[in-house]
Amino acid sequence: MRQRLGTGMNRAAVRRAADIGKRVEYLAFSIAGELYAVKIAFVAEILKPLPITEVPRAPRNVVGVMSVRGRLVTVIDLRRRLRMPEAPIDAHTRILLTDIGQGEQIGLMVDRVNQVYRLAENEIEPADVLGGDQPAHIAGIGRPDRALLILLNLIPILTV
Amino acid sequence: MPEGPGGRGESPADKARDDFFSEAQELLDGLSRDLLALDERSRRGESDPELINDVFRAVHTLKGLAGLFGAARMTALSHQLEDVLDDLRLGRIELTARVLDLLFQSVELYGLILSAEKGQAPEPSGEVESLLVALGELSSEHAGGGPGTLAHYDLDPSILGVLTEYEEHRLRTNIQSGLSLFRIRVQLSLATIDSALEDLKGKARPHGEIITYLPTGNGGETESIELEILIASQSTLEELRIPISGPNLTIEEVAKRAPTGRPSAAPLAVSPLRPQTPKVAAAPPAPSMLPSPPPAPPTSAGRGTLPPPPSVSMSPPRGAGGVPGGRDLSLRSVSQTVRVDIRKLDHLMNIVGELAIVRTALARTRERVRGNPALRELGIELHRLHRAFDRHLMQMQNGILEVRMVPLGQIFEKLARVVRQISREQDKQVNLVITGAETEIDKLIVEELSDPLMHMIRNAIDHGIESRDARVDVAKPPVGTIALNAFQKGNVVIIEVEDDGAGMKREVLMETAIRKNLITATEAEGLSPREIYNLVFLPGFTTREEATDLSGRGVGMDIVKTNIGKLGGVVDITSEPGIGTKIAVTLPITLAIISVLGVEVAGHSFAVPLASVEEAIVLDETLIRNFNGREAMTQRGVTLPVCRLAQLFGLADRPVGDLVSARKTKSCVVIAQVGDRRLGFIVDRLIGQQDIVIKPLGKSLSGVRGFAGATELGDQRVGLVLDVAALIEEVLASEKDLHLAYERRA
Repeated sequence: MRQRLGTGMNRAAVRRAADIGKRVEYLAFSIAGELYAVKIAFVAEILKPLPITEVPRAPRNVVGVMSVRGRLVTVIDLRRRLRMPEAPIDAHTRILLTDIGQGEQIGLMVDRVNQVYRLAENEIEPADVLGGDQPAHIAGIGRPDRALLILLNLIPILTV
Repeated sequence: MPEGPGGRGESPADKARDDFFSEAQELLDGLSRDLLALDERSRRGESDPELINDVFRAVHTLKGLAGLFGAARMTALSHQLEDVLDDLRLGRIELTARVLDLLFQSVELYGLILSAEKGQAPEPSGEVESLLVALGELSSEHAGGGPGTLAHYDLDPSILGVLTEYEEHRLRTNIQSGLSLFRIRVQLSLATIDSALEDLKGKARPHGEIITYLPTGNGGETESIELEILIASQSTLEELRIPISGPNLTIEEVAKRAPTGRPSAAPLAVSPLRPQTPKVAAAPPAPSMLPSPPPAPPTSAGRGTLPPPPSVSMSPPRGAGGVPGGRDLSLRSVSQTVRVDIRKLDHLMNIVGELAIVRTALARTRERVRGNPALRELGIELHRLHRAFDRHLMQMQNGILEVRMVPLGQIFEKLARVVRQISREQDKQVNLVITGAETEIDKLIVEELSDPLMHMIRNAIDHGIESRDARVDVAKPPVGTIALNAFQKGNVVIIEVEDDGAGMKREVLMETAIRKNLITATEAEGLSPREIYNLVFLPGFTTREEATDLSGRGVGMDIVKTNIGKLGGVVDITSEPGIGTKIAVTLPITLAIISVLGVEVAGHSFAVPLASVEEAIVLDETLIRNFNGREAMTQRGVTLPVCRLAQLFGLADRPVGDLVSARKTKSCVVIAQVGDRRLGFIVDRLIGQQDIVIKPLGKSLSGVRGFAGATELGDQRVGLVLDVAALIEEVLASEKDLHLAYERRA
């Protein structure tokens, strides 16, 4: 429901999608070799890692805070969030500055950003094709020609 | 501990001196504003006698002030300036670029003298002497100025005879520039003469210059007076009739005489108006002369004790006319404002901070009372009180913040002076276009903003704006433009410096950064256009091979960025080759600036608000005693509970390699006090004191206790600011919990 409300960007993206025949743009990135994707409408910016300050006592998923043009942004490590072993920051590491309209932009650290996919409705399979009881953050599976994308639901991911 | 300004013992003499400085500064600001306006007019080939008068008055007041405070150099400078300005007013010398330069130099020098008086700078004695000489030379270069032209007009010699030298000069100037002369005769009631004359002036001003007002002595009734007003205008009589009309008013053109008139006007008397008409001299007593609004007590008292001399009856119209010398005799100050030392506001803000701590304590008490069913009524009352307290505290905080806001125009004026100076030095013509000077921002930010903005403008002129010839070659207007725009957007203020110069080429920027080893070639490949432009903020970056006087030394832009960062702001730069460069500064409207003590714990930096730090001492481990799992030490005979910050925050111990060096440097105890509760935080190292801008952590971290927020440390790193009150509460409360747990077990 919340995703529908969205931001201005979101509406623009939806309009664009309607123009090209009910397709939605997803930004694909990789973590530990797997391809994941989120709706690009929720990504305000892709940043290279800035110095991140660790916040003691913060939830485990939180890497810390960084300053993006004078604004403090909390950064979440998607590896930690998905219960995967941590990896050191390297030249490909990127931080997706996400905005899901909760009054705060949150950084999402990923291994590498790949590309944008325009997915038609028939290229998206529901999460339960993987079997019942999938975690809430899995929105479905994207199947653009021959690739396989795990589509993520940002709200449960960003709720730290 | 910083000393609160409220505690300063300020002697009356100090206060008077402070007032002197702030008043002199205000006059200087006004002076500089007027000079800039004059400069602009004169470049358009216009002259503005009113502005010259304003400058003259400001200098005159400065002279008086300087005399009062025994600032001898300032008196000497003012005196000489007065002479020059008087010559300017009277048309004895022309307002040339050189004269303007000297006037601007005088403003700079006044600033230097003021700093010297404050003991912040050496006496600029040599400069004063040389400027005095230069000004003296100006005064002696009097232009001849033939007065012949006046003879061509059919003016009553009795009127010519009472014109002051200044009025005569204005009259002559206007005639020489081909304007026509008009004579207005108007009957004004004595009771309303002030406002009626103001009204008339307002009507006439758009159409010409009022040269003089004189009573004709032909007034009909005793309660009114007839004035003759001379106006120079380029309009025709018909055009003037419509806007300048009213009861008992006639307007006519002063006829030109055949050129065979008197050979030349006799040298005219330089005298104040002589009391010409018996009617006016015998005017009704002073009270009926007062303007219609209710007289303020000091004014009427002042007037009442003085027997009105005959000339006083003339002064209201002349004073209203803005002619120097005709000052209104009023003891009332013009504006309803007070000057306040910003430190006093800081002090008030600190008190608000203390009250916020009281509020928290109140909330705790309320919760305790509410937990007790027997005290329910009391709890409700406490709750109400707490809410009212909270609301008013917030209002007070906002009120103080509002008082601290000042318009950005204050620094824009200084910048306009800088632009003028640099563009002349560089021989580039630059127009500064300012918008949004009324945008308000915290006084402290304004103070810190002038240097960074000055750097930016210098860069724009030096690197941005091309030489006149180069501009003409690319079909740009020969005069460059720098736009200085300010506007508010939400809770930030954005200031843009935009030039229409050569712009920056991305390839050149990258090449330079690589050549200067600021980035590697591989790094350069991955840069976005925005990142490339922002390379100019790297320390040591410059594209100039030779440093000029102004810029090109590779310092400047990185300092700009650091300074803006310290204010909690950010700088961004965009450029279009051939079109220009725009630098945007985004700043918070108000500063929650606090002083903090930087500390290091297990390799992490934290900031402790200085307001709650009592002192910091070197830790002596042998003094630490363990009570029931809690540590405490004795300090000056009192037990001080201590807490190892690394442990509290669950921070990993230092890597083994570091241990050796760590042993050598002793840990410190930062003793914090909030209310009557004290706690010693054990930290590895003190970093030092710093003023920082505190920003809240995002909502996502609202559940994390112990941090009041974070701050930018300049180099893009973020430092966390401890919430000392919450930490003390947490540590001491958990001690209480321990006891409770122990009792329960027993």
